[in-house]
Amino acid sequence: MANRFCVSLTHAKDNSDKATVAFVVANAALGSGKETLVFLSVEGVRLSQPGYADDIREEGFAPLRELMENFAKGGGTMYVCSPCFKKRKLDENRLVPGAAIVGGAKLVEFLSDGSPCVSY
Amino acid sequence: MGIEAEAVWDAGDMGCGELLLELRARVAGLRPGQVFELIAHDLGAPADIPAWCRLTGHTLVSQEHPVYRIRRKES
Repeated sequence: MANRFCVSLTHAKDNSDKATVAFVVANAALGSGKETLVFLSVEGVRLSQPGYADDIREEGFAPLRELMENFAKGGGTMYVCSPCFKKRKLDENRLVPGAAIVGGAKLVEFLSDGSPCVSY
Repeated sequence: MGIEAEAVWDAGDMGCGELLLELRARVAGLRPGQVFELIAHDLGAPADIPAWCRLTGHTLVSQEHPVYRIRRKES
């Protein structure tokens, strides 16, 4: 059984339901002892900015900010797609805890060791 | 039930990732071999908690929804 788990997320406020569930699943993987990565790309990169998720709260779920904070505190990692980030002219000097801007090679490296990946 | 739990946590309606992340932290606070009692009302718990035990190596001692008793693994 692979000891890694990846959640790929391409949404933010354009689909806050998917964004929320992605982090719920990521926390399930982390809580189950997996080295867990959330790969933020396309619109998902906006979640790397502090404060952005503050007003996202889906009914029946914890607020997204809380889910993300718990993920980072639990040792989870967020990779932020570099070209997606640059395209949106976001601030590289302000990233949420646990987030790192990376290129595709980092994602490929993580997945190449046999990590499953679920996409939202 | 015959098994005394070292710690008890009533997770209420919490489920899925929120529950498992918190459960991991709480069980980690026990010594190996100690038993943790979880009360989880979430509809997914009857399937999720046994799966979590298989993934983490902890032992599911008993399961009578919503009460789950988990023995912490040795290492």
